[in-house]
Amino acid sequence: MDLSLDESQEILVNTFSELLEQECPITLVRNSEQSGFSAGLWSRYCEMGANAMGLPESAGGLGMSLLELGLVAAHSGGALAPVPFVEVATAGRLLAALDAQDTLVSEIAKGTALVSLSLPRPHPVTGTGPSKASRTLVPFGSVVDQVVTFEGDELFLVSGAPQRRSPRVLDTGSGALAHWDLSKTEGSDCRSLANGITARRVSARATAEWKLLTAFWLVGLAKRALAIGAEYARERIQFGVPIGGFQAIAHPLAECATRVDGAELLAWEAAWADSEEPERFEALASMAFVWASQTALRTADVSLHTHGGYGFSEEYDIQLYYRRAAALPSVAGGPREELQSVAELCFDTDASACGEARVRGA
Amino acid sequence: MDFRLGPKADEVRREIRAFLAENFSEADRRRTLEEGGGHDWDLYRKLAAEGWVSAGWPEEMGGGGRDPYEILTLYWELCKAGFPWIGLLNNGFIGHTLLALGTDLQRKEVVPRIASGEIAFALGYSEPGSGSDVAACRTQATRDGDDWLIDGQKMWTTTGHTAQYIFMLTRTSTQERPHRGLTLFLVPTDAEGVDVQPVHTMGGERSNAVYLTRVRVADSARVGEVDKGWAVVRFALGLEQAMGFADLQEKFVEDASRWALARDDEGTRPFDDPRVKEQLAQTAIHAEVSRLLRHRSTWLAAENRDLGGKGAMTKSFSATSYLDDAQAWTQIIGPAGMLAEGEDGAVANGAFEEAFRQTPVNTIYGGTVEILRSLVAEIELGLPKSR
Repeated sequence: MDLSLDESQEILVNTFSELLEQECPITLVRNSEQSGFSAGLWSRYCEMGANAMGLPESAGGLGMSLLELGLVAAHSGGALAPVPFVEVATAGRLLAALDAQDTLVSEIAKGTALVSLSLPRPHPVTGTGPSKASRTLVPFGSVVDQVVTFEGDELFLVSGAPQRRSPRVLDTGSGALAHWDLSKTEGSDCRSLANGITARRVSARATAEWKLLTAFWLVGLAKRALAIGAEYARERIQFGVPIGGFQAIAHPLAECATRVDGAELLAWEAAWADSEEPERFEALASMAFVWASQTALRTADVSLHTHGGYGFSEEYDIQLYYRRAAALPSVAGGPREELQSVAELCFDTDASACGEARVRGA
Repeated sequence: MDFRLGPKADEVRREIRAFLAENFSEADRRRTLEEGGGHDWDLYRKLAAEGWVSAGWPEEMGGGGRDPYEILTLYWELCKAGFPWIGLLNNGFIGHTLLALGTDLQRKEVVPRIASGEIAFALGYSEPGSGSDVAACRTQATRDGDDWLIDGQKMWTTTGHTAQYIFMLTRTSTQERPHRGLTLFLVPTDAEGVDVQPVHTMGGERSNAVYLTRVRVADSARVGEVDKGWAVVRFALGLEQAMGFADLQEKFVEDASRWALARDDEGTRPFDDPRVKEQLAQTAIHAEVSRLLRHRSTWLAAENRDLGGKGAMTKSFSATSYLDDAQAWTQIIGPAGMLAEGEDGAVANGAFEEAFRQTPVNTIYGGTVEILRSLVAEIELGLPKSR
């Protein structure tokens, strides 16, 4: 057992920590609330190779693993970086898995193309689902040029942004959401990528990757939200003492610290399983997504309320975390809906991925 | 990065499963569960004969030198099988403590008898007036010639009715700071003046209250220096890795999923109800997070790294999430979920009912969740001490 990062992973983490500290102050996050996207920060990401990290070397990428992508996602989440790191990584890997020589893959690797994906919701609550393909909310949909979508057993790429993309819609997380018309047509703005079992497999894989990287992102967000709350609890004086000395303040924060650690370990385990216990990967990614979503909102909530009234004011940063904690995972339906998928992936298959049947050398 | 426990732990898993298959029948499980004492001499001595009582003690002190992953796996398999393991846990770390801090005589005379399974100790820290505040101990030990006389009362002395000795914390002087002035003794349960009375619990476990009236023990039964008992307690507590209940949570997930996936005569199964799926998934996630936190504590111990507040995290999360899940299931299933094992119509053979009764104590014994959260707040978040 080894739960530490290796030297190159440590270097990666330090590099992005420094980048975000310098290039993504909270003022940038606030100034980007109107668009949900910072083109300047994204170009810095591309200079660092973030856009190509997860692509195979044969496609001009850096051939890094999901764990390394996740580490960058976690630090981006901690800084609330307004960039489509997760979407571009996931869509790029999907395209490369189908055809590493696809010109769009090399454009992503060069940083000249922005691609997102639509996220299937197998268990939408009645009346809330992606009602029609012609009107799908796409993460970073307002800034990407193309969207990968899966519909009717077919995986295809939709471009034609001017016609198919509606203007950005403002959401509580100040993301860059937009409705896209993703309906299949025979026109040149709709390119078929795969059919049948290949399409299903690649789509499920990409969805799991997006969920796992979003889980990492939320872990970073939750860690930072916790640190903000703990710092306030150490410094804010009431009744003559720091409020962190009151158990009513300290215990909820301690409980969140515990849950955040668990969320990080679960995300790491899922990323590790991708290469080491691949039969458990999809179930673990789904679990990591649920737990990180639940934990991020709870932690941002506890931290916000640690601030008393100030937590509710726009001036304090914690509200930025609170809003995003709920908004980010909702793009894929959110944790309550995802629990249905966790149950199916863990238990309702021939090779159960949880409990006794788990492969553990037994 | 590697999330596997490794080949030595895998080997222990095989060994313990083989041991259980040979020595621990379904009838044994039912019988020991009903007795509820947490310890069974026949089974315990069989484990001792294979070296498991002393398995975690350092090799150079005559122990088995098993690493933390092997010890984790030992308890994991015993717990999941429903084996009465409390006596094993207590004596594992009491023996280790005596090796490290006991007298030469204790090392020579007492420790080998613990290792062989001949004798066992119960823990005597808690009292009617002191639980979480262990150092507020009031049971008095006073010198009488070369001996000591002990007067007072202990509480929650689990296995005290079957053990030959109690590892007993006493007060030997009253000083400004309560944790100075404490001394540890090995007190025989058959000594004159020791009265062990049962305390029955909602979970089916039998614990004890122990009354001590002018109990005479020789000075050779003292562990560590007079008035320095707190150091002994801290050493023993440090050995007790905050384990949590991830093994039992894993078993709970297995029982719940087996029930949920089984079809009735009409071909329907509970799993197809979204409420069951949701709770099953949440239970599985809690079990996985508990397992990961426990594995991390074990890894830190194996690497000799500072555990910080992470042992406290392991136990507090596991205890509360298991309790929450046990309660949540009762609110889904209906009356048949409240039927005990063996009753006509009991759901999942009583697994939900049993968990409902047994989980409340988990947030209390071996360090309450409230104390553990304070430790996490202080150590991990740098918040001021609050008690």
